[in-house]
Amino acid sequence: MDYFGQLLANGLVLGAIYALAAVAFTLVYGVVRLVNFAFGELFMIGAFLTTSLMLDEVSLFGTPVPMPGLSFPLAALLAIVLTAGLGVVVDRIAYRPLRKAPRLAPLITSIAVSVVLQSLAQTIWGAEELRFPEFSLAAYPPVVLFGSIYLSVMDLVVMAAALLAMIGLTLFVSRSSLGRAMRASAEDQTAALLVGIPVDRVVGAAFAIGSGFAALAGLLYAQTYGFAHATMGFLPGLKALTAAVLGGIGSTPGAALGGVVLGLVEALGSGYLPNGSAWKDAISFVLLVGLLYVRPQGLLGRPELNSAGRGSLLGGAVEMQGWLRGLFGRFDHALEKSAGHGGKVALAALAAALVIGALVPSDYWLRILTTVVIYGMLASGLNVIVGFAGLLDLGFVAFWAVGSYLTSILFVLVLKDGFGIAPQEMWWLFYLNLPLGGLLAAGFAVLLGTPTLRLRGDYLAIMTLGFGEIVRVVAINWVGLTNGPMGIRGIPLPEIFGIPLASPRVLFFFAVALAGVVLFLVARLVRSYVGRAWVAIREDEEAAEAMGVPTARYKLYAYATSGFVGGFVGVFYAHYQQYISPLNFSLFENIILLMLIVLGGLGTFIGPFIGAVIWIVFLQLAIDIPFVQAHPETRFALLGVILIALMLFRPQGLAASARVDLTMRGARAKEGASDEPLGRRAQA
Amino acid sequence: MSAAGLTTHHTAPTGLPVSPLLSVRNLAVAYGRIRALHGIDLDVEPGRIVSLVGSNGAGKSTTLMAVSGILPLAVGSITFAGEDITKLAPEARVGRGIAHVPERRRVFGGMSVRENLVLGAYSRADATDMEADIAELTQLFPILGKRMSQAAGTLSGGEQQMLAIARGLMSRPSLLIMDEPTMGLAPQMIDLILDTVQAIRARGTTILLVEQNAVEAMRLSDHVYVMRLGRIVHQDSGSNIDPDRVKAFYMGVEA
Repeated sequence: MDYFGQLLANGLVLGAIYALAAVAFTLVYGVVRLVNFAFGELFMIGAFLTTSLMLDEVSLFGTPVPMPGLSFPLAALLAIVLTAGLGVVVDRIAYRPLRKAPRLAPLITSIAVSVVLQSLAQTIWGAEELRFPEFSLAAYPPVVLFGSIYLSVMDLVVMAAALLAMIGLTLFVSRSSLGRAMRASAEDQTAALLVGIPVDRVVGAAFAIGSGFAALAGLLYAQTYGFAHATMGFLPGLKALTAAVLGGIGSTPGAALGGVVLGLVEALGSGYLPNGSAWKDAISFVLLVGLLYVRPQGLLGRPELNSAGRGSLLGGAVEMQGWLRGLFGRFDHALEKSAGHGGKVALAALAAALVIGALVPSDYWLRILTTVVIYGMLASGLNVIVGFAGLLDLGFVAFWAVGSYLTSILFVLVLKDGFGIAPQEMWWLFYLNLPLGGLLAAGFAVLLGTPTLRLRGDYLAIMTLGFGEIVRVVAINWVGLTNGPMGIRGIPLPEIFGIPLASPRVLFFFAVALAGVVLFLVARLVRSYVGRAWVAIREDEEAAEAMGVPTARYKLYAYATSGFVGGFVGVFYAHYQQYISPLNFSLFENIILLMLIVLGGLGTFIGPFIGAVIWIVFLQLAIDIPFVQAHPETRFALLGVILIALMLFRPQGLAASARVDLTMRGARAKEGASDEPLGRRAQA
Repeated sequence: MSAAGLTTHHTAPTGLPVSPLLSVRNLAVAYGRIRALHGIDLDVEPGRIVSLVGSNGAGKSTTLMAVSGILPLAVGSITFAGEDITKLAPEARVGRGIAHVPERRRVFGGMSVRENLVLGAYSRADATDMEADIAELTQLFPILGKRMSQAAGTLSGGEQQMLAIARGLMSRPSLLIMDEPTMGLAPQMIDLILDTVQAIRARGTTILLVEQNAVEAMRLSDHVYVMRLGRIVHQDSGSNIDPDRVKAFYMGVEA
């Protein structure tokens, strides 16, 4: 009972913090239907600001700067106000121009904003933890309940603050004029505008309040755990989002309930399950996946929220002007044709890659190019599900991990360590593992895909995110299978008849050959009836269903294809890197892959590779900038800024004019002819 | 255009020329690369009911949405009560006295009838007379008085239409824009709504109406514009309105 009571108390404190941050997600989602991933970072910034304001001196950009040394309540208040202001600025710059953009654009932008804020925080406050200062309130002796449950005064403050903030917000939303305007804007923005509600300002207010809540949660978290750190917002941000979804996103009481449930489950799970504290992150996501499976709208949510809304995830491509369009358009069109008939163009592309491979003199750049090809292949796999079938997948890295771990475990842990067989003797196994890894990952994908079939849009994204995190946590904690966080070393290079393919040039050619296989496979599928079904689902799932497309089956095909590519490339990746660890398969990698296809153009064949070239080459070039050398994390900030700019000016990606459209040839010509003079002809 | 040269200048009963309350010049709107409107000119004189008629896709709703500021203009200008409002935000136009009762009603379904009405007055600085206005509107629409605390989404189609009109009137507009107020309603309800339109004009509110039911629209209106494929192809005023001619333009078989 004592132990249980203490866990219960701890869970409530943690739950109060999750609930506060969950409110931020739920409030903004309710008004603009945007999952603002950047709240995790605003949480972190709230913590940093409070900590800094309470100290007498803080090291910013590596130089000591005097600080006011405020008291805790004053510092907290100021930090909340500043973070709220930052939230409004972020909305104004990054989200407001995208209100009418395809749904994926603001989501990607919010991830990019998140990356930018995290990198900036690391540049400003450094990579070290900033200790939360001692203050009088925290130094009081703990309160003892029932003789055995210890709660610090600050624990009580956390719970009281959360309770008051929730009640205040609920009253504000239900009673005040601005709150009413928020609810009206949430229901129907056009109607809200027509009755004279300044919707932009109302949304700005929602961002301000949400950011304030995130900051409050962050500073309480920092106080509870005693530090602030640039990456501290990532996991709590995901947990808060999980809590918001658990409760039913869009509902404030739901967020509170979800937060408390999550806090309790985590505290009790880590207290009672064997090795529970290691698994506690997985517990949250298992809870999420399980709940979404049985009740997609969350505990208190309204069912209609689980609908993607009409219209495309991607939206129509605005024509791009100038030479870029011609360049990408022609290239992609060539690839598209190559899938339908004749390998001439595909061979030309292959030859171009081979010539580049043969001519690049330095091994250094050959390795970079190989990385480009690997990321391009992985992004192509993700593109099947996101770009062609229109299902946002944030758990794709799991498939990649499955392929990598399969071959690594077989070669290193089973053959070498288990049976003492040198990899050279079984070199052919690698070639067997390529399709095997692909099939295993495809099986996983179908397994993971099945429960998500009921979900749409953002809910789907969050569930796949949960899956990805579960796989990563398993990879870290199932040490017997995966070697845990140590990773697996000594994975052999690919060989042919006992001759290792050690030269970077040969490995590059090998990667290009695999890319040819992947592109051929994807292109064949996309140009078939399967691809047409995917695009129908992407453009309007309900209409596709009404037209007799068995959407569930084709969605699973998309998962399977995507999973196969992930596993297939994963096998090569493991042998190419010769070392893998769970760090290689984080959500961040998934986000990078998503950024690559968005950068290059969703639903195109060449887009993923264009994105990969830009990203990897950019990373390499940025290394030479002196400021970036001093602060390596700013590379990510720069990429984030580029991505935000791209989303603002061309949300459909660079190569989107090459979007594979599946109209028959001939039908397209007719459509073009009747474009403008329709009226004139009707009158004639 | 054969419509050119027909009556375009109206006179008030006193015989003096009246400057229009709303004046739209050369209005063009584009959805992406597709032009939906090609240079619309229209005038709405104070105290009148002016109708836009035309088949689906003629650009009637697009014109209204541009007047309310929801859709951006490609070219053209909009003048309201002597002021150029072309660049004003939608909420500022409501503040100037333009209320828009949108197609398909679009009441805030999750909120109560009273909350919908209160939101209608969002642009008004004087919240003091709000209760008086609500009371007055419940005289115009008695059924709303009985449903005050009910969620708007649970009302019938006709009741929702009344609520949408009442919500529009809460901002005390000088121009009430109504987009297809009889769409999807039972015949009896249609008559009721159309009577209401006249009652609102009798209170001194100018009305710009879009109506699929061209015959009813012609019966009600002081002036009719016929639109087709993003252009105004015909207009007629007062006793000159010739139903057969309007119908001919409506159907696209011009004389």
